[in-house]
Amino acid sequence: MKSPRSAPSVAAIWQQGMARRRFLKWSLLGSAGVAAVAAGGFAFLRRSPLDNQPAPEWATGLSAGEYHLFDRARQVLLPVEGTALTPSDQVPVVRNVQALLNNLDPATRKEMGTGLGLFDNAAVLSHGRRFVDLSDAEARAYFDSWGRASVIQRTLATVIKQLTYSAYWQEPATWAPTGFDGPVSDKWGLAYLGNAPLPADDALRAKQPEGKA
Amino acid sequence: MNDTIATTADSSAGWQATGLAVHQASDLIGKQPEGERLEIEADVVIVGSGAGGAVSAYELARRGFKVVVLEAGAYVPSKDFTERFSESLDTLYQDHGGQTNSSGDLLVLQGACVGGSTVVNGCVCFRTPDFILQDWQREFGLNELTTAELTPYFDEVEKNLAVHENGEHEIPQHGRLIRAGANRLGWSVKPLQRNIRQCGLTGHCLSGCKTERKQSMLVTYLPWATAHGAQIYADTRVEKILTENGKASGVAATVTHRDGSIAARMTVTAPRVIVAAGAVQTPLLLLKSGLANRSGQVGRNFACHPSLYVPARYPEPVYPWRGAMLGVYVDEFMHPDKGGFVLEDGGAGLVELTMAAEPGTGKPFMDYMADAKYLGGLVTLIHDHNVGTIEWDGERKKINYQLSDTDFPSMQRALKAAARLHLASGAKEVYVPASDNRVIRSEADIDEMVDTLENLPQHLRMVSYHPQGTCRMGADPDNSVVGSDGQSHDVPGLYVADASLLPTSIIVNPQITVYALATRIARQMA
Repeated sequence: MKSPRSAPSVAAIWQQGMARRRFLKWSLLGSAGVAAVAAGGFAFLRRSPLDNQPAPEWATGLSAGEYHLFDRARQVLLPVEGTALTPSDQVPVVRNVQALLNNLDPATRKEMGTGLGLFDNAAVLSHGRRFVDLSDAEARAYFDSWGRASVIQRTLATVIKQLTYSAYWQEPATWAPTGFDGPVSDKWGLAYLGNAPLPADDALRAKQPEGKA
Repeated sequence: MNDTIATTADSSAGWQATGLAVHQASDLIGKQPEGERLEIEADVVIVGSGAGGAVSAYELARRGFKVVVLEAGAYVPSKDFTERFSESLDTLYQDHGGQTNSSGDLLVLQGACVGGSTVVNGCVCFRTPDFILQDWQREFGLNELTTAELTPYFDEVEKNLAVHENGEHEIPQHGRLIRAGANRLGWSVKPLQRNIRQCGLTGHCLSGCKTERKQSMLVTYLPWATAHGAQIYADTRVEKILTENGKASGVAATVTHRDGSIAARMTVTAPRVIVAAGAVQTPLLLLKSGLANRSGQVGRNFACHPSLYVPARYPEPVYPWRGAMLGVYVDEFMHPDKGGFVLEDGGAGLVELTMAAEPGTGKPFMDYMADAKYLGGLVTLIHDHNVGTIEWDGERKKINYQLSDTDFPSMQRALKAAARLHLASGAKEVYVPASDNRVIRSEADIDEMVDTLENLPQHLRMVSYHPQGTCRMGADPDNSVVGSDGQSHDVPGLYVADASLLPTSIIVNPQITVYALATRIARQMA
């Protein structure tokens, strides 16, 4: 993160969201357990070596921290070793995530940013490092542990996974190794049938007295 | 209206072979500076262009009413459909495909384009089950809504929409496997009925039918309505229903460009207002307008057929994305006394499969996806209770719905039946659509894997395609919003004609029910 938020401010934003009972579209619901994690966790916020690496110029819709989080998620969630699948670094995964996030309304997007920050930073509690600095095995175990934890943790883990998966598998470059056909109508030369003709009794009915058919 | 009937009788002159004449925000560039108002007068203004709105528009326009249809979503011609699910979510669906309940564990998919959900549904057609209609008569005093009363309407809309039972060529490989499995179990299994002409077997129903084979409103009732003079406005969100002396008098709306900038403010003056914006948006509009809620039932009683997509791995390639998206269904357990759920075989593309299940993080998931062609899927639909609410908090809508503890056992029974059916059909692994990793490999695994599920937010991966029930009809004004004629108990001239009407969930795909009710409502209005 270029300018890490202070622990109190992050917790305050999060709890503000909790108080308003607002939730993220793809997920976010507050729970007492996670509020506690947030309140305690951000006190241990650590800087990451990645904080010194700028995000790409195209990543205008992501904070640097979000860019690094999703790029790390891409690496740990989409391994292709031993398969014929397309390596994730050949697919614009994070750029596609950015496009998906751009669809959120501003208030929800802000909450999402807070949730992503929570996911990244809460790893400090369990591992002493942020999520983006965990090894591949640690990062996967971290996802799994959140998938079994409180509602908000399950939610955040699911959101990050779903965004990453969709961003990868929506790309045509990923389809051929699976046999997925993708769009076919043009490829098959299917004719357009156009609008259905008017019902046979259309005019007849219009001339009849009004009322039940 | 009778003086104009003669002019509409020769409607074939106004019918066009392809596309739809729609007013769009882009038409207003340079013509209507922000703040300038569009003032329109009509006999009827209809909010929403989906199943209820389109049918109402046609039925009233053909009778000579001056009809204006306002659609919040964009007009996307069929030729612009991309057959890419991610893009389609963005362009054709409510909230770009991101509409969920408050806890985020239930994706509520609704169309948000001209034609509404009929553009993106799976074409499945069922008549309202008799036992549901009997419930409505008994519980809500809807004595007129008998099977005998509705049958002519069902017959007519099915004929208009080319509804037919799937032919053998329309039953995909996953459907054939499921059918064989059901037969082994001795369960009743039938071909689905669908509203489609010459199905192209592309499997891309959820992204819209590019070659106009699905008989959605986009290629049927809407062009027919425009042939009779109905005017359709896309990009136009109704903000408020207007009244005068306690009666409906029109609507106020905003026309918005795709970038969110306002193209125009619009007022439609009309003595009849039909709200058919779907079971989420319709109650929101009534609540924002402060109307028709003497009963306190507006926005309450939300049900949605929460469904699970249960994928399973078969020993031979299935190619779940090939062929018709939906082929057969199992109705063995449809009646509430037998379980109250339906199983439908369902196709899926890669993105949809990522949303269904996840057998592990990292390599297990990628292995699962690498072998996606071996996956077949079953969709579970349950008869859920109307426990949800739709609210407007002043800034955003809230869909408050959690699967009730009463309904959770039904979901578990449906899940168990889906697992049994997959195994009987030859599947080697059934993936439970839960937030943790659960794989069923034999009958002996089923109870353990399903009974230990908990009814907690974010534990099951549920999707709703059928929101309903939020402006329920009934005979008693104290506990229902509208009568069986669709008209508000409180506000003369204000009607509801979409799935909001349904007093209970109906277990099966509701489009035919909505078409039939909308036809009946429009004709009673005329």
